[in-house]
Amino acid sequence: MNKDAWSGLVLLALAGTYFWATGAIPDSTLEDEVGAVGLPHALTAALVLLGLILLVRGVLAARTEAAAGPEDEERDATLPRALGFLALGAAYVLLLPYVGYLVAVALLIGGVALYEGAPRRWTVPVAALGGAAFYWAVFVKLLGVSQPVGTLFQGLFS
Amino acid sequence: MTTFWDIVHLLTGTPLILVAIMGLTWGILGGALPGISASITMALVLPFTYTMDPAMAIALLACVYIGAEYGGSIPAILIRTPGTNSSAATVIDGYELNRQGRAGEALGISLMSGVVGSLFGLAMLVLLTEPLSWLALAFTPPSYFGLGILGLSVIASMTGGSLVKGLAAAVIGLMISTVGTDPISGVSRFTFDVPDLLNGVEPVLVMVGLFALTELMSQSGSTSLTQLKESVRIRLPSLAMMNRLKRSQTIGCILGLFEGLTPGGGGSIAAFMSYNEARRWSKTPELFGKGSEEGVAAPETANNTVASTALIPLLSFGIPSSNSTAVLLGGLLMHGLLPGPRLFEQNPQVIDSLYVGSFVAIIAQIGVGMLLLPAAVWLVNRPRPYRAGFIFALILSGIYTLNTSTFDLGLALALGVVGYLMRRTGFPFLPMILGVVLGHMVESSYRRSLVLSGGDMMVFLQDPICVGLLLAATGFVVYSLTRELRDARRAKAEQADTHKAHGQEAHG
Repeated sequence: MNKDAWSGLVLLALAGTYFWATGAIPDSTLEDEVGAVGLPHALTAALVLLGLILLVRGVLAARTEAAAGPEDEERDATLPRALGFLALGAAYVLLLPYVGYLVAVALLIGGVALYEGAPRRWTVPVAALGGAAFYWAVFVKLLGVSQPVGTLFQGLFS
Repeated sequence: MTTFWDIVHLLTGTPLILVAIMGLTWGILGGALPGISASITMALVLPFTYTMDPAMAIALLACVYIGAEYGGSIPAILIRTPGTNSSAATVIDGYELNRQGRAGEALGISLMSGVVGSLFGLAMLVLLTEPLSWLALAFTPPSYFGLGILGLSVIASMTGGSLVKGLAAAVIGLMISTVGTDPISGVSRFTFDVPDLLNGVEPVLVMVGLFALTELMSQSGSTSLTQLKESVRIRLPSLAMMNRLKRSQTIGCILGLFEGLTPGGGGSIAAFMSYNEARRWSKTPELFGKGSEEGVAAPETANNTVASTALIPLLSFGIPSSNSTAVLLGGLLMHGLLPGPRLFEQNPQVIDSLYVGSFVAIIAQIGVGMLLLPAAVWLVNRPRPYRAGFIFALILSGIYTLNTSTFDLGLALALGVVGYLMRRTGFPFLPMILGVVLGHMVESSYRRSLVLSGGDMMVFLQDPICVGLLLAATGFVVYSLTRELRDARRAKAEQADTHKAHGQEAHG
C-alpha cells in the first residue's frame, strides 16, 4: 500500500473516532433545527467519503508505482528522529511545573543542541545557561510574562 | 475619516514607530534563516502579541511580514538557499551576481525593489480595501455561510497538490473548530471533561504547531548549510540603475497585485511569474540566469507587493489567501477583531496603525536592512543545533504566554506530530488552518439561517449573494478536479511513452 492508501485508512479511523465521540454530546433545551451534533455528523460523512476516495486511489496507484520503481528519497527527518526531537519538548512540558522556567529552558536548549549533533564541549552548557538567562530576562523581566518558578525552587524565588 | 493629526498622534503619541521597527527587525532576521518562512516568523511572534494593544499587535505582525519578505533574499543571494519560499526565484540571478563578486549590488537591488513593491502594495491596500469591505454590508447569515464555504473550497483547491487531500485537511480543521462550547445551544462538545477545552482550540496553537513545530521536526538531523561571507556589505543601486529596473519593477508590481488578490496565489508564484515576464519584456533577456539585475528586481518587487496586497481580501472579507495572512487573521481574531466593514467603523485605530506602521517599516527597511545585514549573517552562521534549541525554546515560551497553561504546550506538540504526518503524506496545512479559523462562522451562519427560516433549506437558494458564492465554490472545486484528472492522464501517457522508449532501447 502507498501513502495515499494509508492516509485513506487514517482518515476513516479518524472519522470513526470522531463519530463515536459525538455520542457524548448532551441534548439541550435550546436545540435548533440542526442541533449540536448536526455539523459533526456532516463532517464525519464528508471525511468518510474523502477517506474512501484516497484509499481506492492509493490501492489503484500502488501497482503503477511498483512498476515505476521506488519513490524519491525524502528530505525530511524520519519519523523516529522527528519524534525524538518532539520528546525533548514533551520532557520540557513535564519538567516545567517542577523545575521552573529557567532550568527547564536551559535543559531544553542543551538537550536539543546535543540531539541535533552539537559537539560535547563546554559550549553546550554555556549556550544553554546563557540562552535560558536571556529568555528569562526578556519574557519574565522585560515583558512581564508569568512563567512557572517551579515547585522545587518555590521558596527560593517567591 | 483619518486626518493628518490622527497620523501625527499615531507616530508621536503611541509606540508605533518602535513597534514597526521591532517587527521589521524580527521579520528580516527570521526571514533570513533558511527554513523559517514568513508565516513561521509571524507565528513565532504571534503568542507574544496576546497582551499587546490590538492596534500595535496587528501593526507588528504586518511589519514582520514585510521584513521577512526582504530577509528571505539574503541567503538566496549569498548561499543559493532561499530563506522563504517567495525568494526562491531570487536565487537564479541573485546568486549568479554573487558569484561574479557583486553580492552587495544584488542585495541593494533586492532591498530597493522590495521598497518599491511594498510602497505600491500599500497604496493598493489603502485604496481598495475599505471600498471592497463595504460589499460585506449586504451580507446576510446565508451569505456568510456561502463566503465561508467559498473560502474553504478555494484554498483546498488552489494550494497545490491533491484536491481530495486539501478538502480532507479543511474537514479536519472544521472538526477541530467544533471542539468547545456549541455556538447556538451552549452545550460542550468533544471536551472530554477537560476544562482547558471548553473555549475550544485556539487557532494560534494550530498555526504554531503546524507551521513552526512541524518545520523544526522535519529539519531535525539535517546538516548546516554553507557559511555566509561576513564581509559582505549592501550597495544601494544608483538612480541610473533604478531607471533601468523600472520595467521589471512595474511587472513585479502588477503581478504582485494580481497574485495578492488571488486566493492561494502568494509571493512565490508572483515572484516566478514576474521573473518570466521580466525576461520576456527585457531588452537583454540573454542575461537572465547569468546575473541579470532585472532578474533580481522583478521577483523581489513582486513578493514584497504581495506582502501588502494579500491583506486586501483578508481585511475586506476575512478570507486569508496565504499562510502568512492566515497568521495575521489569527492575530485579529485573538484580539476579538473581525475583518470586514465593521473593523473599519469600530476599530479604525487598528487599520490606521496597520497602514502607518507598514509605511514606517517600508521606509525604515532601507536603513534597518543595511544595518541588520551583519546580524542576519551572524545569525544564519550559528551552528544549526544551537539555533534549533533556541527556536524550540522560543516557541514553547510563546505558547505558554497565551493562557499560562501547560495543557496548551501539550496540545501544540500533538499538533506538531499531526503537521509532520500531514507533510510527509502531502496534505496541505492552509485548508486545515482555515477550517479552524472559519469553522465557527460557517456553522453559526448555517444554523442561524435555518433558525430564521424555520428550518427551510431554500433560504440558501433565495439569497442571491449566497447562491453566487456557492456556485463560485463549486466552480473552483470542479476546475481543480478536472485539472487534477488531466494532469494524471498526462503523467500516465508520459510514463507509457518512457516505458516504450526504454523497451525500444533494450531491443535495439
